[in-house]
Amino acid sequence: MIEISHLYKQFGNDVVALKDLNLVIDRGEFVFIVGSSGAGKSTLLKLLLKEISPTRGSIKIFGRDITRLKGRQIPLLRRNIGMVFQDFRLLNDRNVFENVAFTLRVTGASSKEIRKRVPLSLELVGLKDKQFKKPDELSGGEQQRVCVARAIVNRPAVVIADEPTGNLDPNTSMEIMKLFEEINVRGTTVIVATHAKELVDYFQKRVVVLDRGRLISDQERGVYIDAHKEPLLFPGGGA
Amino acid sequence: MRIRNLFYFLGEALKSVVRHGWMSIASIAVVAMTLLILGCFMVLNFNVANLAEDIKEQVQIVVYIDENADEQTRENLHNKLVAHPELDEVRFVSKDEAMERLKRQMGDRAYLLDGYTEEDANPLRDSYELRTKVPENISLVAEEIGNYPGVGYIDYGEGIVEPLFQFTGVIRYIGLAFMVGLALTAIFLISHTIRLTVYIRRREIQIMKYVGATNWFIRWPFIFEGLILGLVGAVIPVLVVQFSYQAAVEWVQENIYFVTLLPPQQIGTEIARILMPLGVVLGILGSTLSVRRFLNV
Repeated sequence: MIEISHLYKQFGNDVVALKDLNLVIDRGEFVFIVGSSGAGKSTLLKLLLKEISPTRGSIKIFGRDITRLKGRQIPLLRRNIGMVFQDFRLLNDRNVFENVAFTLRVTGASSKEIRKRVPLSLELVGLKDKQFKKPDELSGGEQQRVCVARAIVNRPAVVIADEPTGNLDPNTSMEIMKLFEEINVRGTTVIVATHAKELVDYFQKRVVVLDRGRLISDQERGVYIDAHKEPLLFPGGGA
Repeated sequence: MRIRNLFYFLGEALKSVVRHGWMSIASIAVVAMTLLILGCFMVLNFNVANLAEDIKEQVQIVVYIDENADEQTRENLHNKLVAHPELDEVRFVSKDEAMERLKRQMGDRAYLLDGYTEEDANPLRDSYELRTKVPENISLVAEEIGNYPGVGYIDYGEGIVEPLFQFTGVIRYIGLAFMVGLALTAIFLISHTIRLTVYIRRREIQIMKYVGATNWFIRWPFIFEGLILGLVGAVIPVLVVQFSYQAAVEWVQENIYFVTLLPPQQIGTEIARILMPLGVVLGILGSTLSVRRFLNV
């Protein structure tokens, strides 16, 4: 479903974020992308969303090379990808229901459809009774659940999460990760970029390790591999 | 745009105006203040222009007919004046009529003219009162007509009308320059205020982009919001100008009787006709241009 071949991304003249990356992710997979800060995780996710364009190489999603997408077609790509961010990115002046409904609204869904699908999505993440609360009335874990609900309400084929547990405590992180696992069981491809070693080791999923823009390991039922044995100076920072 | 979306966009715009209450008030205030200054100046300018126009209308050429001219010459002169392409109005004033006028002007002291009213004793001359189509051409036309046979002498306020026309011309250009300057200032202020409100919401725009909103889907609510802010911002100065002008006209009528101001209804319509579309356009432009910067995600 996602086919990345010979992907290069360079910023300016000398910052090489990704070097000759080749990766295939099939429908229904659950993939952790790990690596220290600067390994290229965030760059890869940005490329998948077509937020930036690669220097070289191709990214095929659903058989289509998205590096050639025109500006007008990008929204259509993004409607097929549910995105979850470390910092939640919820609209604080709207309640939970409206935040989730928004994703459907942009696709031109009818109010009837919205009223039907938003509660289903909120029920899945366990927030149906808090749908009229504003994001700042919720805990961090609950806010991230709203993000997950927002990411899946469109029934996208793939959900991508960028450090989804970066701002959460270990117990809440585990809950969120279990939520991703559940979504994955229902048939959605899930890609999670993370630093959380314990979680990666616990879930025993496919683990892709990036280091300085290169793919250095790709294992089914893998564990977290730290390319640099020395301790990180700023654990938890974005790549 | 689908109808379903139209209502959604309008609803979003209204909600957003309420949600960002203080920024909305700031935007409306900036639109209202700048348009109010512009409106006041327009009122002033319209009246000055009107006054200048009034004065110009009163400028006329008086052609006194040579007393010795025979019937044929007089008739030729009449025909030439009537056929003159530059002249708007040609009015014959007989010396009897001129005497009547003079009497009226002298009012209580008209008896002084008693000895001159008889046909033969009237010292005044038959004349033509002429108005040129373009008041500024008066000197040229007068000079030309002065050479016609049968013309005794000619009077058009030489030496007075030229500076007057210069003055009214300058006034008009200054007024125009001021209005354009104020309009540009208004655009600048309004677009900056609205840019600030959009800047505060750049995160919202970014999130919209991430969930797959098209640029137009993001833009429409902002366009409607700009329209609402601009419209409300324009209604305020229109009302303020209208009511205060009405009061000013009433005061002037009571206290300075020789100045005639333009009627309040006319000014009101004129101001509304200019300020309302200007407010709407400024609002829409301000928000659309501001959103554009944040759409590249």
